[in-house]
Amino acid sequence: MEQRESVIRQQLTQFILAGQADFYRLAYSYVKNPDAALDVVQESIVRALSKAGSLRQPDRMKAWFYRILLNESMNHHRHSSRLVCLDAALEQQAVPARDHAAYLDLYDAIERLNLNEQTVVRLRFFQDMTLEEIAQATGTNLNTVKSRLYKSLHRLRELTGEEVSYE
Amino acid sequence: MSDSWQRARGRYEEIVPPPQLSFTVDAALRAGERTRTRRQRMHRAWATAAACCACFLLLINVSPTFAQAVSAVPVLGQIARIFTVAEYSIEDSEHLIDVRLPALELPNSTDLQQRINTEIRTRIDQVLQQAEDRARETRDAFVATGGDPADFTPIIISVNYEIKCQNSQYLSFVLTKTETLASAYTETYTYNIDLTAGREITLRDILGPDYKEIANAAVLAGIAANEAANPEEEYFHGESGFQSIADDQAFYLNQAGNPVVLFDKYEIAPGYMGAQEFEIVP
Repeated sequence: MEQRESVIRQQLTQFILAGQADFYRLAYSYVKNPDAALDVVQESIVRALSKAGSLRQPDRMKAWFYRILLNESMNHHRHSSRLVCLDAALEQQAVPARDHAAYLDLYDAIERLNLNEQTVVRLRFFQDMTLEEIAQATGTNLNTVKSRLYKSLHRLRELTGEEVSYE
Repeated sequence: MSDSWQRARGRYEEIVPPPQLSFTVDAALRAGERTRTRRQRMHRAWATAAACCACFLLLINVSPTFAQAVSAVPVLGQIARIFTVAEYSIEDSEHLIDVRLPALELPNSTDLQQRINTEIRTRIDQVLQQAEDRARETRDAFVATGGDPADFTPIIISVNYEIKCQNSQYLSFVLTKTETLASAYTETYTYNIDLTAGREITLRDILGPDYKEIANAAVLAGIAANEAANPEEEYFHGESGFQSIADDQAFYLNQAGNPVVLFDKYEIAPGYMGAQEFEIVP
């Protein structure tokens, strides 16, 4: 039992060392601040290690870790989104004045989706996770992931004026 | 089509992690390992302590001569002890609360016992009340801004204590409250009791009138040693850095009976380095 856990912990450490840049990018895409992103990554790792005993199936490690990372990122995002940076506020206000003909770049359009949709899009297209893994990482079921993805692609098409389906 | 995805992914990958990332990750891995070993060690210690108590009770019950012998041994007869008076968990949509509340028994000085126990009680009640209010506020704000209540990640609050030193003269324990909202934040309360004098001790009692100078020198030496050993660990320096210990500096006594001063996360070093502590060897 102890031995099995230490094997899992070793694998987890390896996984964390190998994936740190990915974790940082994902955290940053929510919190938009280098220090906050570092904090999120750090807290996630500490939590993951202290909960390593609850990881029963090592093949689910990726989804399991991303679930912790997403929770930390969202918490931080929510906590800080009550403080609005002036630049960001001005930028947001400026949007309705934009020429309607000027469509957004796909990357900027993703930021306009709601948080759940952003998560599905990022995990699917930027972190190459399967829909199954995304369902585990977000604590939802496969159908929810599919419908969120479908809605996101529809919305992205409106925002970018491009065909953005990927298959 | 796939072009725009390529471009979007390119922009995503332009988020370049700062050089501190690998150090932060290493520090987090070490911290994670520490919390685990500590927890394990605690479990083991409790199991042994419980086993000892069981033997003890058994012996007293079984042998009247042993009981008489024990009451004649001063230390064992009037032993001070800390025990868990309340242990509970609350789990709902707003928070996960885990509490292990200590209480003190000092047969020789009931006044002090009562004062400390009341203080612990009120402090924890207050802390939990504040945390609950905050949890509700955060949740309301989250729902008001269009969040789905089902998506709210509960706030985690845990209260625990750890005995740092217990011998015939001193009893020292640390009470911690950790609240995890965005990032974890721990508040620490320390209690150090001189059992023979029946009162709380201060750093001055242990280190003498020059306690501030002695402690400051030890902290500065500790900072310098840590920085030399890990070049990437950098404490705050200058105005926001360590100047001097506070008048009511938090500390505990370790196994050896030496004072160890505690600094909260962010107090003297960046958040990723966590809370800091330095032993003062007189």
